[in-house]
Amino acid sequence: MKHKTDNIWIGQKDLVQDQEFLSTVDSEFNSDSSTLADATSSLSGNRRDFLKFLGFGLGAATIAAGCDIPVKKAIPYVIKPDEIVPGIANYYASSFVNGGDYCSILVKTREGRPIKIEGNALSPVTKGGTSARAQASVLSLYDTNRIKGPQVKDGARWKDTTWQEIDKMMVPTLSSNGIRIISHTNMSPTSKKAIAEFVAKYPNTKVVTYDPVSASALLDANQLNFGVRAVPSYHFDKASVIVSFNADFLGTWISPIEYAADFAKGRAINDVTKASMSRLIQVENHMSLTGSNADNRILVRPSEQGVAIAHLYNEIVGGGPSSDGLNDKAKKAISKVASELKSKQGSSLVVSASNNVSEQLMINAINNALGNYGTTLDISMPSYQRQGNDTDLKAFVDDVKSGSVDLLLVYGANPVYDTVYGKELGDTISKIKNKVSFATVMDETSALCDVIVPTHHYLESWGDVEVKKGQYSLIQPTISPLFNSRQAEESLLKWCGSSTVDMMSEQPYYEYLKDNWKNTMFGGQNGYATFQGFWDSALHDGIYSQNSASSVAYTSAPLSGGITKPSKSEIEISFFETVHLANGQYAGNPWLMEMPDPVARTSWDNYLAVPVSFDGFRNMVGFNDLVDGDVVEIQVGEKSMKVPVIQQFGQMPGTVSLALGYGRTEAGNTGSNVGQNVNDCITKGENGPQLYNTAVTVSGKVDKTKEFACVQYHHTIGVKGVDNKTGEVINADEAALVYFDYFTGATGFQGALTDRSVIYTSNVKDVAENAESLKHKREHAQHLNAQQIYGGFDDKYALGHHWGMHIDLNACVGCGACTIACMSENNVPVVGRKEVSRHHEMTWLRIDRYYYGDVNNPNTVYQPMMCQHCDNAPCENVCPVNATNHSAEGLNQMAYNRCIGTRYCANNCPYKVRRFNWLDYTKADLWPINQPTLRNESTPFMADNLTRMVLNPDVTVRSRGVIEKCSFCVQRIQEGKLTAKIEGRSLLDGDVKTACQTACPTNAITFGDFNDHEGTLNKKLESPLTYIALEEINVRSSVNYTMKVNNRDEALDA
Amino acid sequence: MSAVVSPIRKPLITGNKTYHQITEDLISPTEKTPTKEWVLGFVLSVAVLTFGVFCIIWTIWVGIGSWNLNRTINWSWDITNFVWWIGIGHAGTLISAILLLFRQKWRTGVNRAAEAMTIFAVMCASLFPLIHMGRIWLAPFILPYPNTRGPVWPNFNSPLLWDVFAISTYLTVSLLFWYTGLVPDFATVRDRAKGFRKKIYNTLSFGWTGSAKHWQRWESLSLVLAGLSTPLVLSVHTIVSFDFATSVIPGWHTTIFPPYFVAGAIFSGFAMVLTLMIITRKLLHLEDYITIEHIESMNKVILLTGTIVGVAYLTELFISWYSGYVYEQFAFFNRALGPYWWSYFGMMFCNVVAPQFFWKKSWRRNITLTFFLSIVVNIGMWFERFVIIATTLARDYLPSSWSLYSPTWVEIGIYVGTFGLFFTCYLIFARVAPVVAVAEIKHILKTGGNQYVGENAKRAHHHGDHESDHH
Repeated sequence: MKHKTDNIWIGQKDLVQDQEFLSTVDSEFNSDSSTLADATSSLSGNRRDFLKFLGFGLGAATIAAGCDIPVKKAIPYVIKPDEIVPGIANYYASSFVNGGDYCSILVKTREGRPIKIEGNALSPVTKGGTSARAQASVLSLYDTNRIKGPQVKDGARWKDTTWQEIDKMMVPTLSSNGIRIISHTNMSPTSKKAIAEFVAKYPNTKVVTYDPVSASALLDANQLNFGVRAVPSYHFDKASVIVSFNADFLGTWISPIEYAADFAKGRAINDVTKASMSRLIQVENHMSLTGSNADNRILVRPSEQGVAIAHLYNEIVGGGPSSDGLNDKAKKAISKVASELKSKQGSSLVVSASNNVSEQLMINAINNALGNYGTTLDISMPSYQRQGNDTDLKAFVDDVKSGSVDLLLVYGANPVYDTVYGKELGDTISKIKNKVSFATVMDETSALCDVIVPTHHYLESWGDVEVKKGQYSLIQPTISPLFNSRQAEESLLKWCGSSTVDMMSEQPYYEYLKDNWKNTMFGGQNGYATFQGFWDSALHDGIYSQNSASSVAYTSAPLSGGITKPSKSEIEISFFETVHLANGQYAGNPWLMEMPDPVARTSWDNYLAVPVSFDGFRNMVGFNDLVDGDVVEIQVGEKSMKVPVIQQFGQMPGTVSLALGYGRTEAGNTGSNVGQNVNDCITKGENGPQLYNTAVTVSGKVDKTKEFACVQYHHTIGVKGVDNKTGEVINADEAALVYFDYFTGATGFQGALTDRSVIYTSNVKDVAENAESLKHKREHAQHLNAQQIYGGFDDKYALGHHWGMHIDLNACVGCGACTIACMSENNVPVVGRKEVSRHHEMTWLRIDRYYYGDVNNPNTVYQPMMCQHCDNAPCENVCPVNATNHSAEGLNQMAYNRCIGTRYCANNCPYKVRRFNWLDYTKADLWPINQPTLRNESTPFMADNLTRMVLNPDVTVRSRGVIEKCSFCVQRIQEGKLTAKIEGRSLLDGDVKTACQTACPTNAITFGDFNDHEGTLNKKLESPLTYIALEEINVRSSVNYTMKVNNRDEALDA
Repeated sequence: MSAVVSPIRKPLITGNKTYHQITEDLISPTEKTPTKEWVLGFVLSVAVLTFGVFCIIWTIWVGIGSWNLNRTINWSWDITNFVWWIGIGHAGTLISAILLLFRQKWRTGVNRAAEAMTIFAVMCASLFPLIHMGRIWLAPFILPYPNTRGPVWPNFNSPLLWDVFAISTYLTVSLLFWYTGLVPDFATVRDRAKGFRKKIYNTLSFGWTGSAKHWQRWESLSLVLAGLSTPLVLSVHTIVSFDFATSVIPGWHTTIFPPYFVAGAIFSGFAMVLTLMIITRKLLHLEDYITIEHIESMNKVILLTGTIVGVAYLTELFISWYSGYVYEQFAFFNRALGPYWWSYFGMMFCNVVAPQFFWKKSWRRNITLTFFLSIVVNIGMWFERFVIIATTLARDYLPSSWSLYSPTWVEIGIYVGTFGLFFTCYLIFARVAPVVAVAEIKHILKTGGNQYVGENAKRAHHHGDHESDHH
């Protein structure tokens, strides 16, 4: 070893050049290398190499690890709560309530987070069904726009404050003269008790209740006829003829979950040889969800609704107002309907959404004359789902204008937006000295208030509901409040210094609620000896029923006011509530905002529905020659606005329609400034708002919308029209598909759109015949499929499970609850208007809507469409990397990690159900720069940690560039199988239910095992109406549909 | 290869050339400073290429969402361009391999450039299957190699995987064939070059000395490669057509696709060769090597293949009607009369009607018309792929899912960018290698045997006079 020439030394011996030391240093490597060579003769590395490799390895690992997405927060429980097992969901019974919207639910929580809403099958009202609104309500819990704590207005800005400050501040205001509590329908007995205590303490208080879409006249009529200001219980299942005057009872009217389930019961076909079903006749101008499910639609202008009812009244009861002004066609049809109704005494039902008391009195009289009370509708068990009073609201607005209101408490209402007086209220609300809002999120009214004392989201609240007389359900919190909010009732009780509640307890309102139940409901039952037992049972079940029906007699009442006068105006506009947004209450919810309207299939805007007709040759001609996506200028009363257009089949000529609930200005990022607010266009009738206007003009096309967010471009499947040359009935649909005819005059060829093996329809009269023809078609298809050169697939899945599904198109009303349930269960992203307009929507489950029959007044069929899990799947054999493949149980699986995104599978899917992550919708990329926003929010939706709390941890969040699709809720299958395994039993029929299945209010969807021969699935498949879409292409789909059967009476069309 | 000397045969090279003149004519373009036209073309090509690269980076960065594809139409311009470029890439191998085996000697005038074109076209084509992937960074998943993921192998049932093999094989063999032909020519360049340039060409020519053994081996290798390439000419587009034919989509699922695609590919490939040759012969003054005879021969091929394609179109229409299957019938109804009727019309006109002009001899020999129609044919063939891909996907089984499509600037940019890539490569090629195979064309100089006497000599002189008038 060389002696060092520099001054570096190691230790003292080195410094003094100790010979012994130097010799050991010299021999260090020599001696070692010889021994090392013996030990590991094949290795050539030495210590230095080892260090190099170690360094490189560490460095590489560090770099590689740095590239990965770091796990940000993973904190273990210090003390694990008893009931929470990580990875196992807990379900709590509760109730979804928003004003008059009600659904008894089970809340699925994972690790303490509510992530999914399920229906509560124990409920006698909703019977386990849900609605899109209920399904989406879990997302509103994690709304980033929620108010984080009490706030007071400081000039134009909001300032955070404390509850002590608020309570102190409220004391002087409470002694003022005019106090108003304004709310939507309040179905909670305990809440009402708390309000009553407040009113008792401050007698200057008046409670104003209204509904965003008023049912005031219906309630008033029942008050006059029965002395009960409530909605009767309707039994659509018991009615063989249903006549609905503009009541969208399957979509939005009062209690659609309940009504849809009953309605579907009356539509079931159990025996094709003796097929019978109820007949629904809808009298309306705009194709509503109920109208689309109707067998016959009688088209009347909005202003003719009154005379239409009067005409039926005259035919059945007689002596009513004149029906002059009703169009002849409708008159004839209603006369025929009347005779049919008369033949169905006691098994018919007439309902109306009219907000005119006289008209509702006539409806009651008709039902009474038909003997329907006690059979198809029941006032002895009234429903409290609508309680609003238009007169009170009007008086309130007048009081505000006159300045006689000093303190306003806004409790679950938004009158500045969702009433017909919104504009004037907005202008005059500043006259009220103190305005306090209990809102959970900012809205138009709260924005004008002085104080916001946010209440809990319902998933954080205690509460109760009396949905019908004696039908109670409970609301229990499923998560502790996310923000510094306080239950509104607690605030009221605190402010009135209630002596009945212990404000020092941890949850005062919980104690109050329990006390109330102890004092009222507990006394009315005899199942439980102790209150605790009763309470635990009610809380566990979520519901409690008490038989408290009392018979009420019908007393006729004179028609108190005029009925709606038919207008002579050239064009009329009607306004309608949508399934997804109601009157704007749900506009801030991205799932609902993006949910396509079930009928129009549009989202992210209110599109003006214009009538469309077949020109007898080539085109479907829209009103004013408008086509989908054109923008028109529309003048309603004094308001002028620009709205995009959608051609709506079944829209009455001479009428246009526009949806309520859009054009909100304070609805968070998602709901604000989407579409146009039409609440101030509604006609202010004598005793309440009427959802139409006759002072309307519609311009021609003034523009073209850039983002026409409509998920379905082709709406019809073989509608028929009259050829104007020959006068024959031709396939108008096919003719209208010709874009260019090379001067040959081609009008299409007949058949390609009627013979599509996608949808089969029949009239109930011909159902046996059509079932026979379907049988032949299926036999033919199966014969063709048997000719395949490859071996069959059937024996492959004969052992173990073979998953399949059955969808009853007769039961499906198209409400869309399943689509939102699917988004919630499977973490399906919301993509925003622009992406929807580019057909980039990500929905795994969609509901295709087709019109068929008469082009001018068609029938409709809804077809829920998701991955068909083909056993001979065309997507699987084309994937170059095996990213999509088949499980041994017949599931078509996606391995997201393996997917390279060639999209060949999506092209080759005959059902077009595969969805590609075009952009970074779920914000899973390494870089944030390409995350699309819904509406230019600062943190993109789904990138926000609060929003992401709604994600289902059992389902992978997919990244950009991969295909995704329905998995038949494989996570639920797995959970069911594991549960069965732990319990040491085989999987039973019904153990596994998909999210869409449990969401469905009409039980249209059945999931099960083909190999379970006794199972419900196989029972359903026995129906001769069962078919497989596109069976002849031999993809061996696992989803079965049933033929759509209608009960159209052709005589009514004449 | 002993040529039959007959005064009846027309000469394949005009202009009264000597062997030395051929060398001068063909090698000198690699030695001179680039012309103004070349520089202009090169700058333009590189600019377009740069924009294309930008668009590709944009696609990868933002996602396929930067294109206007949608849940119904999952392929459109990307795969249209892919098939189009692959089709164009068919002429080169056909000319070099099949015509070599058939002893079509005129091919030597155009084979080099056609082969180069093939390679560049295949390069452009293979870009699209890569960038159309949602996650290009995982593209290696498609390759069959032992891995630690199980191992998970690719799906050998998938036509996309067959594409990978077909195209990579085709590119490899075409490249080898092209380079083999270049070796003696590079040696010729080397022999004339000096200094560093000489070194480069020496390396490129693998130390070719021109010994008899070299020539013998060279000939053998050419034949072997020709034998290998011949089935490839037919297989590549057959396999590309399987991307569609093996699917279940009406309008794609047809057995006619393989021959129809191959005919179409040759059709478009010859059209592209003509487009390029007409420009090249003009700019590099190669009229004596790439003669009117060449143009006429290629026009005959275009007429034949165009007519085959036309028959295929009509057969498709007949079969769709005859199938009695509504979806099949509707697919063709929709192609012809649906929202994309103009692309179907364009396809029919450009591919079937336009080539019929070539029945007339004088029109076959008309350079202006040929140039124009060669471009028309390529437009038509692009339409054909667009019709097959986008129009078919736009309206298939479920009317609820029907959609429409138009490209974004990114998609257009990438397509235009491939022209940049193609011409950049071609222009570099024209600078560094003889665009006509020098060694091979010398074989056919005396085929006609009457270069020095008779009509040809006169015409050549005449031609020469004509040229000198200009200069």
